[in-house]
Amino acid sequence: MRALERAVALAAKDLRVEWRRREVLLPSASFGLLVALVLGLTQGAQPDRAPAVLWVALALAAVLLVERTTEREGEEGTLEALLLYPGSREDLFWGRWAALVVLLLVLGLALGLAQAVLFGVRLGPGWMRLAAAGLLASCGLAAVGALLSALLLNVRGGHLLMPLLLLPTCLPVLLAGIRLTESALQGAPFGPWLGVLVVFDALLLLVGPPLFAAVAEG
Amino acid sequence: MLRAFLGGATAALLALGLVLALWLSPPDAYQGEYVRIMYVHVPSALAAYVAAAVACVAGALYLWRRQARYDHLAQAGAELVVVFSGLTLLSGMLWGRPVWGVWWAWDARLVTTAVLFLLYVGCVLVRGLSDDPERGRSLAAVVGVVGFLDVPIVHYSVVWFRTLHQPPSIGPGGVAIAPPLLLPLVVNALAYLALLGYLLVERARLAQVEASR
Repeated sequence: MRALERAVALAAKDLRVEWRRREVLLPSASFGLLVALVLGLTQGAQPDRAPAVLWVALALAAVLLVERTTEREGEEGTLEALLLYPGSREDLFWGRWAALVVLLLVLGLALGLAQAVLFGVRLGPGWMRLAAAGLLASCGLAAVGALLSALLLNVRGGHLLMPLLLLPTCLPVLLAGIRLTESALQGAPFGPWLGVLVVFDALLLLVGPPLFAAVAEG
Repeated sequence: MLRAFLGGATAALLALGLVLALWLSPPDAYQGEYVRIMYVHVPSALAAYVAAAVACVAGALYLWRRQARYDHLAQAGAELVVVFSGLTLLSGMLWGRPVWGVWWAWDARLVTTAVLFLLYVGCVLVRGLSDDPERGRSLAAVVGVVGFLDVPIVHYSVVWFRTLHQPPSIGPGGVAIAPPLLLPLVVNALAYLALLGYLLVERARLAQVEASR
């Protein structure tokens, strides 16, 4: 099998498991919604607060999502089995990354729609730019998630270390997401933020696969 | 021999730096005596970033070559990032309270240093918590590499998000610091870098001894 086919097959496997069990997306989305509700209730639900609340809720829900998909791999020993197959270890990273991008996009869409209702946000013609920002942010978050998920497998208290490592690493994604959402809602120019996301994504996608492979072999 | 020389040089530089900082440096025109905290704050921040660079390069070399000596250096680097960035945060807070009127400000360099501190705390933890020591070494190396590469992006994103900290006094645009204050700062920076080098060598050696038992 070629690299692309392997990655696609792996991503399809992850998504199929999630589709049949629905045990990751639903709890993560519910948790994200809960965070949004608590923040809206305690901090006030003015429409201009919606972007920050959305991205904080999304980041916390993403931690849960990555953590749970990792736990599933660990419980069932699937990563060990996958490592026995011939081919590059980097394809495993790409498969995992692609599946996480799809899951994060679905999560972001669900939370974004819920937020628009809760905070009374009117989404004008900026929705396409918002979607572009969401896609770039998901790519970055998924790259860190795919790398960390391989790292923290079989580490005691790995689920505690996940937020400690994922959230600070992804701080640029969070900040860029907030500012891009604000400017998309106001119809203002994006400024340097699109560049921040592109640089972050490029860096993580460049170093992620070799690091993943090095750890998988170690 | 090298260790004894490095230790002696470090002690001498630290003593000289202390004398310059506490007695020979004049008080600042605006900040008064509080400016002396700078002689701990700026050098420890510099040492933290150099230690992070060491942890990154040594970690990458370890992942590539799988030689234990690189891992010992990466371990020493990561632990020293925690020490020096912790010292930077602490001295910054002690300085910020009288000068800015607050213990903490939501400024780019403060947040970046806090992120650096937390990432390397994670790096040290992941090594200790791993069931398989070999795996722990690889994981710590990866966190060290990713952490160091991520920090500049974190920094610039926080700069653009909001900022209050004074701009860097020493940069490509020139030096915006009075010469009587600059000399103690440079000597203290050299002293902290020597201290970092000495601690790196000693900690790496200790890790080697621990591993060989």
